[in-house]
Amino acid sequence: MNPIATPTTTTQSDAFIEMRDVSKHFGDFLAVDQLSMTVRRGEIVALLGRTGAGKSTVMSLSMGTIAPDQGTVRVGGADPSREFDALRGKMAVAFQTDRLLPWRTAVENAELGLLILNHSKSQAREAALHWLARVKLEGAEHKYVHELSGGMRQRVSLARALAVDPELIFLDEVFSQLDHVTSQVLRRDFSRIVREVGKTCVFVTHRIEDALDIADRIYVLDAPARVCLALSVSEQTRRDPRALADLHDQIAQAIGGDTESAGHDPNYSENQDLS
Amino acid sequence: MSQPARTASSVTPSRLGARAAARPAARPGRRRDLTALCVVSVLLILAMEVASRFVPPFIMPSPLVVGQAVLELLTSDWHHVSVTLLRLAAAVGFSMLLGVLIGLLMGTSRRLGPYLNSLVIIDTGIPALSWMLVAVFWFKDPEARIFFILTVILLPFYALNVYEGVRSMPKEWVDMMESFRPSRWQLMRYLVIPHIVQYVFMTTKSVIGYAIRMVIFAELVASAVGIGSRMSLAQSTFRIDYVLAWTFLLVVLNLVLQSLLNLVERHVLKWRAEAKVR
Ligand SMILES: Nc1ncnc2c1ncn2[C@@H]1O[C@H](COP(=O)(O)OP(=O)(O)O)[C@@H](O)[C@H]1O
Ligand SMILES: [Mg+2]
Repeated sequence: MNPIATPTTTTQSDAFIEMRDVSKHFGDFLAVDQLSMTVRRGEIVALLGRTGAGKSTVMSLSMGTIAPDQGTVRVGGADPSREFDALRGKMAVAFQTDRLLPWRTAVENAELGLLILNHSKSQAREAALHWLARVKLEGAEHKYVHELSGGMRQRVSLARALAVDPELIFLDEVFSQLDHVTSQVLRRDFSRIVREVGKTCVFVTHRIEDALDIADRIYVLDAPARVCLALSVSEQTRRDPRALADLHDQIAQAIGGDTESAGHDPNYSENQDLS
Repeated sequence: MSQPARTASSVTPSRLGARAAARPAARPGRRRDLTALCVVSVLLILAMEVASRFVPPFIMPSPLVVGQAVLELLTSDWHHVSVTLLRLAAAVGFSMLLGVLIGLLMGTSRRLGPYLNSLVIIDTGIPALSWMLVAVFWFKDPEARIFFILTVILLPFYALNVYEGVRSMPKEWVDMMESFRPSRWQLMRYLVIPHIVQYVFMTTKSVIGYAIRMVIFAELVASAVGIGSRMSLAQSTFRIDYVLAWTFLLVVLNLVLQSLLNLVERHVLKWRAEAKVR
């Protein structure tokens, strides 16, 4: 029950994402500094840190849309940027901004990944409708992006990621963009879905509560991105408000945020942001 | 003959690009536009009528006479109108296709792009007049001459605007697409091509009036049929009423084409939220 910061060591075989001493510069600016982390299959892992810590950059590195300057990144045994197509069909992303295509309706956006993966039109449509219903968007399927609210767009983007039935899902600040009630409902819904089908998920957030709510493990990142604290959250801990509050304080301290207002019951401190 | 070159520079690609960036633009009430158009037209007709009282008819005939000429032309010269329209459609259609293709390559091919870009930039510097004269040397067939002139003049507008469109595409969208690992063709089909449709419309709308003027000029230089040649005939037979009647018809043609384009655009780009700027 005692929330101990557990340095995580894993065997090579069950590691899905493996980052070793990864650094990344943008020009002269150091965004990621010798970061090492591991994500095992079937885990939900949170990357937690202040805005600008480099969380999205770490995600882009694991997605392969950017390459590291130093260190190695392996995802599913392959280098995601050099062996770009190795992850085809295995990975999906819901980005920090919804990135929906405005000329497509909600359902047409949700089915985009499936169409790219060469599913038939009817199959893609069926799956897209199914996932839109699961993120509670019935009735909005045929609306264009400009007719949807911010929260609805974010959910379409989540449906677009889930619809391709990926082994690995990245979520970048998806929940922290939503209002707190919607965020919590969607978060729990999402973690249930992920656990049901045994997917691996990495989600980025700057809200401690989001991480404590659904993550198996949490990597707390400094700026420039480097792991300054790694810890596990068990189901037991999650049910114990005191243990949660302790973890909360520990994380807040690691980040260097003000801890005085760190909630003792995370359910009541939902609106505390680190940003 | 210096006019086409001057008009060409007044619709410079950079201005077209700027307009592209300003989209979605404000669309003030269409009703008000229509009213203003009617008021201005009536005022112009009145001014013509007044002027015609003071000067001889070979300088300014009464609008009534011009109106009669319009009716005559519409019954007798329909053939010439359709020839001109066909030439216009063929040239605009072809320039659009080839221009879009070149623009896409300019924006997506790292190897070919710079070369095509320089080619198009050089083309925009060549006055329309030069093309018209050169076309007379190069082509015997009047249709080939007109098609060539219009194409070389219109093509760079499409190429440059589409290029601008590709470049203005948010990188975030490309990253989103790439997270699914699409083929090159899928990237084109699902992202790039839908994105540039609005640029093609914008280009067509801003180029159509210019294209009409150019086809008339080209006909004047190169052909014995078509509105341009009929206008030249009217001038040489001292029929100012016909000249003005053709002018009137051309203005109407431009208005009709513009509104048709607007109609199609509103349908095709219905996904776009119209910003209302007050
Ligand atoms: N493409 C880029 N070019 C230059 N700087 C960048 C780029 N992407 C991110 N950065 C910088 O790297 C830092 C980390 O950014 P990011 O990973 O988006 O942080 P987070 O997602 O944690 O808020 C920021 O200071 C940002 O300005
Ligand atoms: Mg971010």
